[in-house]
Amino acid sequence: MSKRTAALLSAAGVIVFLLAWEGLGRSGIVPQRLLPSPSAVPATFIAEIKNGQWQAMVLASLSHYLSGLALGSFLGIAVGTAAALWPRFNAFQAGIVRMLRPIPAIAWIPFAIIWFGVSEASAAFLIALTVFWINYFAAYAAVASVDKDLIELGHAFGQGALIPRLFKIILPGALPGIFAGLRAGLGQGWMTVVAAELFGIPGVGMRMMEASGLLATHIVVLYMITIAVLYGISDFLFVRVQSRVLAWQR
Amino acid sequence: MAAVIALKGVSIGYGADAPPVLAGLDLEVERGSFVAIVGPSGVGKSTLLRVVAGLHRQRAGTVVLNASERPQHRPFGLVFQDPRLLPWRRVERNVQLGLEGLPVGRAERQERARTALKLVRLEEYGTRWPYELSGGQRQRVGIARALAVDPDILLMDEPFGALDAITRRGLQDELKRIHRETGKTTLFVTHDIEEAVFLADRVLLLSGTPARVAQDLDTRNGTSAENVERIRAGLAGDYEI
Ligand SMILES: Nc1ncnc2c1ncn2[C@@H]1O[C@H](COP(=O)(O)OP(=O)(O)OP(=O)(O)O)[C@@H](O)[C@H]1O
Ligand SMILES: [Mg+2]
Repeated sequence: MSKRTAALLSAAGVIVFLLAWEGLGRSGIVPQRLLPSPSAVPATFIAEIKNGQWQAMVLASLSHYLSGLALGSFLGIAVGTAAALWPRFNAFQAGIVRMLRPIPAIAWIPFAIIWFGVSEASAAFLIALTVFWINYFAAYAAVASVDKDLIELGHAFGQGALIPRLFKIILPGALPGIFAGLRAGLGQGWMTVVAAELFGIPGVGMRMMEASGLLATHIVVLYMITIAVLYGISDFLFVRVQSRVLAWQR
Repeated sequence: MAAVIALKGVSIGYGADAPPVLAGLDLEVERGSFVAIVGPSGVGKSTLLRVVAGLHRQRAGTVVLNASERPQHRPFGLVFQDPRLLPWRRVERNVQLGLEGLPVGRAERQERARTALKLVRLEEYGTRWPYELSGGQRQRVGIARALAVDPDILLMDEPFGALDAITRRGLQDELKRIHRETGKTTLFVTHDIEEAVFLADRVLLLSGTPARVAQDLDTRNGTSAENVERIRAGLAGDYEI
């Protein structure tokens, strides 16, 4: 299957999905209030832009998302790499990881609010937490599976000390795995943005919560689509960067 | 002449309980000599090179090296049995690997890499990724990488194994010329007895488990068919066990 055919088929799938949804609303099988039809979304979009809500909410969410993502990804990669590099540190942190890991990020919401208030920092903290674990495990596995022969090569050619070994052999070798973790974090991060904001931190999630309180389901749908599009854009951009950086892979 | 590599009673093994691969090995290599090492597969030739290069610690015995410490060079240039290139570096940057961390400027690093690539006839391939090369080309990049650090001691583990007869012959001549001109002490592992005799002043046959030096032949003055036969017989004897 060519790339073009795949793209066309994918577009056709989305169109069929939207048509079926619209049809379901118009036929009257499902009442408008329970399921707003997609054709109502453009008008809602214009209204939300005019009153400035859309821009404000998207900017707020983006700012939580980016700061949480940066912090969580960096720490996840750093701790995961350190654990894979040093057996002693690995043993030391293994118990803590087993204890904390099964707790989902949103379970920390009460503490986030106690510590940081209903604020930007709270949302960023929760996102960072989600993203941390994904990157931690991805980086750990990637670093642990770097080809030992290449590390031996480094020793043979004077690159055996920690800094050159880390930056010339281990991290480049682990990069494909680290990128896979970053990409997964990119998606999970959006989910946490919404979950965190449902508790009243300004952003897309909060606006959805408000709208659903007023039974303005068409607004809820608008922001669902907004999230999907934002995720789509960030993933697309990420893949472009990735294919640049990993050009050495066949 | 001084021994540049001196092994005394060296034992080597992998893992604590495994039987040793080499045991009680004594070996002295004179400065400037070209020593070929032959022996059946699995006897411990690569292991021996690894110990000399300091990549593997011996269990017992001493390894003494008298490589000189020159600031812009590395004491060893190692050619692995597999090409072992860094896939995320283009060919020229792979060749420069050993020069990084030495007091060598960027321009000189590039120049030395280019010269080394020329020696293995890959000057056109500097900007390729390793995956864009054939197996033999990759192996030649590995040879260039070892030559670029201008080492005192060249350690080569079947460097020409993956090459066709003509390229191989060309590189053998090149290596012989480099050795004549620079006097680098060279340890050269090969399965090809003719190659060993053609290149080396001295041919060592390793055999047995644990391995020992079963034959140690002076091949400086060309060599007699008789010598070749002796090595061959030694190898064959080992295979019969
Ligand atoms: N990393 C390792 N761990 C355990 N055993 C090893 C390891 N590397 C090599 N050996 C064993 O040590 C012995 C010697 O291996 P070595 O690679 O030195 O042989 P070789 O003479 O170079 O063989 P070849 O001609 O096939 O390259 C073999 O029996 C091999 O199984
Ligand atoms: Mg070998």
